[in-house]
Amino acid sequence: MNPLISIKSVSKTFSKGNTTIKPLENLSLDVPRGEFLSLMGPSGSGKTTLLNLIAGIDSPTSGEILIDGRDIAHLSRTELTKWRSVHVGYIFQLYHLVPILSAYENIELPLLLGKLSKAERKEKILAALDLVGLGDRADHRPSELSGGQEQRVAIARAIVHDPDLLVADEPTGDLDRDSADSILTLLNTLATEHEKTIVMVTHDPKASAAAHRTMQLEKGRLVEESRTPLSSLS
Amino acid sequence: MLPFSYALRNLFRDPSRLLQTVGGSAVVVLLLIAAVALNQGMDSVLSASGSSQNVILLGKGSEESIERSEVGIDAESAAATSISGLKEILGVTAISGEITYQAPIRTASGVEEQALLRGVFETALLVHETVRLTEGAFPGPGEVMVGHLAHRKLGVTQKDLAIGKSLYFGDSEITISGQFTAPGTVLESEIWFDRNDLASLTQRDSLSSITLRLAEGDIDDVELFTFQRNDLELASIREDLYYQKLSLFYEPIKIMTWVTAALVAAGAIFGGLNTLYAAFAARIKEMATLQSIGYTRTALFISLIQESLLATLSGTLIAFILAWLFLDGQTVPFSVGTFTLTLTPGVIFTGLITGVLLGSLGTLPPAIRCLLPSLPKALRSH
Repeated sequence: MNPLISIKSVSKTFSKGNTTIKPLENLSLDVPRGEFLSLMGPSGSGKTTLLNLIAGIDSPTSGEILIDGRDIAHLSRTELTKWRSVHVGYIFQLYHLVPILSAYENIELPLLLGKLSKAERKEKILAALDLVGLGDRADHRPSELSGGQEQRVAIARAIVHDPDLLVADEPTGDLDRDSADSILTLLNTLATEHEKTIVMVTHDPKASAAAHRTMQLEKGRLVEESRTPLSSLS
Repeated sequence: MLPFSYALRNLFRDPSRLLQTVGGSAVVVLLLIAAVALNQGMDSVLSASGSSQNVILLGKGSEESIERSEVGIDAESAAATSISGLKEILGVTAISGEITYQAPIRTASGVEEQALLRGVFETALLVHETVRLTEGAFPGPGEVMVGHLAHRKLGVTQKDLAIGKSLYFGDSEITISGQFTAPGTVLESEIWFDRNDLASLTQRDSLSSITLRLAEGDIDDVELFTFQRNDLELASIREDLYYQKLSLFYEPIKIMTWVTAALVAAGAIFGGLNTLYAAFAARIKEMATLQSIGYTRTALFISLIQESLLATLSGTLIAFILAWLFLDGQTVPFSVGTFTLTLTPGVIFTGLITGVLLGSLGTLPPAIRCLLPSLPKALRSH
């Protein structure tokens, strides 16, 4: 079976004044469909850069990034934007919800880009809210929700348009342990039961333990790989 | 495309910023409306004051100003008999020798102000066809008739210039015998004297000008007369052209109006831009999030434009209401008359275009700053 994500010899170079920075160098990686992959590493190791490349937020300097067989490495900014609207759900550390919109309206944002009727959108939003356990918080604004609830709304927003790929940048970094655990359980369920492919960046070994596989990055290269035993996942 | 409600709700995110943007655009639009109305009002009163059928005879060398002109009294009868093609009404030739003078006039209430005085006989009504006596009688000796807007020039109420009231020229008391209108012309701000009275009060033995109304004749006939009667030292000019030249004289004032409006507007625009910068800069991360969801920069730009257009057009509406309440119909005195500020379709269109430009062009710099950074950088911003 073809992997959903196939990264081949990807490098990324930035110029800052006269200095050239290489956050990623000749990196290759395959992620099968339905896998929950955790990326760990010290600050500056290139994990967020890699996540942004996989999500089509950024483009590599060289190499190929195949997502479901399509090379997104050379798409323009507008093409990437349109591609993301269908194929990717992004979960941020600080949730990034729009403060003036209710939970319902925040979740509706990706659906407004499609051609669904209002009733069809409502059905999907309520299903997503139920999946993240916030069926009774649809009308609440972000300021009326706890951090854990906000992150659940953000996850509902990321999955509501049914993308194949979810990317999460430190999704539990701003949460207390209990909330973090419930978010990780939710992400694991999305991968295991709903076949979402999830790539998560984290500093937290406990969070990483919720993933199927963990990869360590150091100075832009993958240096170590470990698989979480199935028994600990359950 | 983002729903319109997103732009609408964003407006109320920060009420103080909204107030600044709406207030700033209201000030800019109101100033421009006032400047356009002022200039249009002045232009329109001057262009309406002259007729292409009328020719003014002035003293040679005084073509720029009737008040400085001197024409011999005998020139009036000479012109009436020598120039062919003058209009005749009931056997009377439409020709009016006049004295035009600016001097302080005191009302019975003690207010003294510079006024526009014209010394005429009844034949003046044959050449100034817009003038209509609305009440009372044409002035005889010791009397005057006042234009409908003369009170604005004097800075008094209309009641102060009612028929029967007294006015004072130096120590001489004059009674108001009539009131007249001359809609949209400078004549409406004048005080008309019996010509002999004004000549005696101003100790003049000459006229300021002679106005002729042409029937089938044209300006060439009048010019021929001024050449043939070189001894009278006369120059001729069509009345509408005279007022056009007068309008040019006020050009610097109009420019000053624009410059003042532009300077105050520039201040308001920079203030508004600063507000928009602050409002949009605080949302760089939100814009980046929406892009990561799949909204294109064009869609976000349109939403930002909608948002600022809502604010500036609200300001424009407020400016229109203020202009309608406090500007429309107001009369403004100037040196040769009085004009009315009117919210014409042209003035309203100018205000509307200004509001739209403020909302659209004004959004460009802050929107570019908000949407131009790379997505990873924008997502990391605070």
